[in-house]
Amino acid sequence: MGVFKKRVNEFPTPYTCMNAIRKGGIETKLSMILMGFGNIVHGQLIKGLIYMALEVVYVVFMVMTGAHCLAMLPSLGSVEQQEYWDEATQVYMYTKGDQSVLILLYGVATILITVLMVLAWRGTLRSAYKAECLAKERRHINSFAEDLKTLLHENLQKLLMTPPMVLISLFTILPLIFMICMAFTNYSKIDDHLMLFDWVGLDNFAALFDSSSILGSTFWSVLAWTLVWAFFATFTNYIFGMIVSLLINRKGTRGKAFWRFCFVLSCAMPMFVSLLIMRTMLQPEGAVNVLLRNLGLIAADASLPFFTDPTWARVTVIIINIWVGVPYTLLQLTGVLQNIPEDLYEAARVDGANAVQIFFKITLPYMLYVTTPYLITTFTGNVNNFNVIYLLSGGDPVTDLGATAGKTDLLVTWLYKLTIDKQYYNIGAVIGILTFIILAIGALITYHNSRSYKEEGGF
Amino acid sequence: MAGQKIHSAKKKRFITNSVVHIVLAVLAVIWVFPVIWVVLTSFRAEQGSYVSTFLPQSYTLDNYIRLFTDTSILNFPQMFFNTLFIAIFSCILSTFYVLSASYCLSRLRFKMRKPYMNMAMILGLFPGFMSMVAVYFILKALGLSEGNLIKLALILVYSGGAALGFQIAKGFFDTIPFAVDEAAILDGCTRWQIFTKITLPLSKPIVVYTTLTAFMGPWVDFIFAKVICRANSDQYTIAIGLWRMLEKEYIDSWYTCFAAGAVLISIPIAALFLYMQRYYVDGLSGAVKG
Amino acid sequence: MRRRAVALMLAALMTAGLAVTGLTGCGSDADGVEKVRLMVWSPTADQSKDNGEWLQTCCEAFADQHPEWDIDFVYGIMDEASASSQVGQDPDASADVFLYSNDGIAWLTDSKAAAKFGGKYREEIEATNSPEILQSLMLGDDLYGVPYTTNTWYMFYDKSVFSEEDVKNLDTMLEKGVVSFPFTNSWYLPAFYVGNGCTLFGDGTDESAGVDFTGDKAYEVTDYLIDLESNPNFRIDQDGSGIAGLRDGSINAMFTGSWDANAIKEILGDNMGVTSLPSFTLNGEEVQMKAYAGSKAVGVNSHSKYMEQAVALAVYLGSAEVQRLHYELLNVIPCNTELLADPAISADDLVIAQNDTFNYTSILQPFVTQMNNCWTPVENLGKGIRNGSVTHDNAQQQTDAMNEAMNSDGIS
Repeated sequence: MGVFKKRVNEFPTPYTCMNAIRKGGIETKLSMILMGFGNIVHGQLIKGLIYMALEVVYVVFMVMTGAHCLAMLPSLGSVEQQEYWDEATQVYMYTKGDQSVLILLYGVATILITVLMVLAWRGTLRSAYKAECLAKERRHINSFAEDLKTLLHENLQKLLMTPPMVLISLFTILPLIFMICMAFTNYSKIDDHLMLFDWVGLDNFAALFDSSSILGSTFWSVLAWTLVWAFFATFTNYIFGMIVSLLINRKGTRGKAFWRFCFVLSCAMPMFVSLLIMRTMLQPEGAVNVLLRNLGLIAADASLPFFTDPTWARVTVIIINIWVGVPYTLLQLTGVLQNIPEDLYEAARVDGANAVQIFFKITLPYMLYVTTPYLITTFTGNVNNFNVIYLLSGGDPVTDLGATAGKTDLLVTWLYKLTIDKQYYNIGAVIGILTFIILAIGALITYHNSRSYKEEGGF
Repeated sequence: MAGQKIHSAKKKRFITNSVVHIVLAVLAVIWVFPVIWVVLTSFRAEQGSYVSTFLPQSYTLDNYIRLFTDTSILNFPQMFFNTLFIAIFSCILSTFYVLSASYCLSRLRFKMRKPYMNMAMILGLFPGFMSMVAVYFILKALGLSEGNLIKLALILVYSGGAALGFQIAKGFFDTIPFAVDEAAILDGCTRWQIFTKITLPLSKPIVVYTTLTAFMGPWVDFIFAKVICRANSDQYTIAIGLWRMLEKEYIDSWYTCFAAGAVLISIPIAALFLYMQRYYVDGLSGAVKG
Repeated sequence: MRRRAVALMLAALMTAGLAVTGLTGCGSDADGVEKVRLMVWSPTADQSKDNGEWLQTCCEAFADQHPEWDIDFVYGIMDEASASSQVGQDPDASADVFLYSNDGIAWLTDSKAAAKFGGKYREEIEATNSPEILQSLMLGDDLYGVPYTTNTWYMFYDKSVFSEEDVKNLDTMLEKGVVSFPFTNSWYLPAFYVGNGCTLFGDGTDESAGVDFTGDKAYEVTDYLIDLESNPNFRIDQDGSGIAGLRDGSINAMFTGSWDANAIKEILGDNMGVTSLPSFTLNGEEVQMKAYAGSKAVGVNSHSKYMEQAVALAVYLGSAEVQRLHYELLNVIPCNTELLADPAISADDLVIAQNDTFNYTSILQPFVTQMNNCWTPVENLGKGIRNGSVTHDNAQQQTDAMNEAMNSDGIS
């Protein structure tokens, strides 16, 4: 399997960290302790000073709060809130106790900062070694101004990718690690563990896999429906969106802008408005059933079980999702469709192919090749598609009175009910992790084996 | 004989075109119908959230007027401007992040490229709202959870994850041949100049799409904004306001205003799309080949 | 290189944050007047100009009564239903004094965010409130709030269709007119079960006793409900169809609370009748419907820096003159015993209905932690009856399934 091939280093360079430690001169070895020293010795003054300042800031940070946060991590706090009666003012006074959530968060943040610091340290070491080697070979060493200039050209990625990476680390990666840690604790409403909780290791996972428990049996059935839903949702939107886009883009169609506008109008309306309204309309006493009754299509007191029968509910949800998703697919795919080289179509037409054959033999393969990563991402996005299910059916119907999940609940909406409504944070985290593992394995394998990853840029 | 052949080919094209137009018309009606229903509801004179008839029986402008004049319960104009402000800035930031990330991944080759692509795919596999609690406390630690800084917090969070959605834009950039870049480098351009002067102008459909979805985000998100804003009602966004209109104390008298508010939100988004329509030029590939 | 800048920024900001928190704090003026800052949360209606700015007026009056404190008020908007969860999530960043509904007490106590009332303040509270309403705010022997109104639901009806005698029994009403009930809402549906003897957590506070919605007493009710739902004069009230029905005349009675009183008054005018819950006939016997009742109260944040002032303010906001103002400006039914003795107030139909319901035709909604498991199963039973998956044949089985679900936390 391609995934497990030995990774070939595509960017070999002599200025690695290991080389710096083994072969570097005194100034490089000293840079291990005093970041930036090597750079200063070889004339890169500003760069060296910046590295040094960075080290100082980190040390100060660790001394002031970092060390304390790390120390609290194993125990996650144990001091409870104390209460005492103040006779003079006739009120109860409270001392602040530990809050395990914050301790966990700050601990994880400190670890993350330390990891970043280690990476930075390795970077400075490499930089010092590079400066030393260049000096030995009497080659030009970049001044600070020249370094800045490379940011616009060879090192453009450092300039452009860094701001997004900062925000991603802060708002996506850090919370994610925090959530993963939560799965190994007992942070939950059960047994009063909301303020102070402890590490419990793999206990939560055991509860999930125990299929005799309610939790275990619910998990597998919800997972199955989630995968079915994601598959149908992705492909119906994809094919339908492509067809609509082709219909609009073809030569003979007039008023392209008008047609596009009609479809996009439906996604201009916020999802929670349109979905809530559709949900109300499809209730047993809702507008659609009333209309059908008035038109005589169904009996006077009957109603179509849009959300009350499991199979009807599942089909309804998929169909409404087409309504929601096609405008987006339209927008996304139009650009790519327009870039299909015209000569491919010309050649096919000269050979006498009709519209359907062109679609299946040229358009579809081209689109699948270019948009395979997009399809995979959309699939995983639909697995986690919270809005449509939650707003539209709320997970209904629930045919098993004891279950916490309904028949149209996805893993993610079930998770929401468990964490927000019932405050079983640790179980929610476990489900999140398991969802992720299952999806990650599938996605990575498909992605790595797809042509578009292996032969980039070579259509 | 030849004249007849051309005649029947023309006729065939005419029939195909008509069929296509009819199909498009039917589809367009289906797609636009719920929107029209909401617009009709916003003009409905009868109060309450339940209707026994499919179409309203009397019409009025009161719902719109009430949104702007009755600010005692929900200050609609203020929420509107809060959201507009947040949407514009997060839209600009998001578009920039996505395009720059996609350009780097498509055109440049650097060590972290493939790991980044893998990571982006993996991060999308986790459900977003699990991190809400953590993000709130992170923002609190950064001091961004009070007063006007909440707007900044929302902008950062909405645009933060943007660079993970690079796939479509990257796929698009991949279809622009490398030859264009190489020619420019031979002419002495830096990659930054190639990015701003050549690639971006060629990518109008993708820019349109990215800007539009980034702009829409703040208008529709209610879960996350509620967690951050808490009791600071002067920082509320429209989504929170609309959601509150559905609470049981307010729903009966505010439902039609809810529909009116929804229509008002859709207007900037629809307007933005109309404005950007002109960048959808047909036959775009011609420019690339030249 | 930019990644290092991040660490720098994060560290700098964290240090700055620490410094700022270190430097703030209370201080007193040279002349002995203590500077105090109190944050107060309430729903929008209580603070809006259109309704007379009730909260601001009362807080300023409180400040006038205490010249020894120089109080600076900061107001925030928070509806009573979500106040407890918001305060519980982050007490440090929350109000010192807030209005909340009692069913959220578990959020507050689980997060140790609510302060207890004791000593002279407690005596004051106990002197002007009935023991039942105080029970709704007590865990064990500890009082966690100052009540200012009861929170429950009762019946509104059209006087031109039903007489006062008719509305005493649900089945009599069904013979005379159309009745609508929120069948699929689990805040309303248990009224039938509880009325017939089913219990929740013993007297409501004993978690180990669990939920007892089983046995004949429950099966009979399920059967009754199945018949009720198919009664041609019965409508399910969902998504506002009750009030819409009153508007167009297709419904003559509905069950709701004081939040809809204004709208119903507009619709029915002088024909608006309001009363506490009727009874229903089960196997020839009359069984009284019993609603879930709770209260809304003023709470104090245990993380408050000005505990004495916050407690004093909370007790003041529950006092007679404040409740009277609340009633006059916003029609909030008072619970203060002095006020209820006032003939003008006690003649109001709405006051009578709400307090009668609270005193005679309701049980205190339990607010133990496990109460959280009791909502969804009942809702699902209601939906099951509505869509026909629960029938007379499987009524017993489904009722037992519901009971089991109410007793389980969904995990084990």
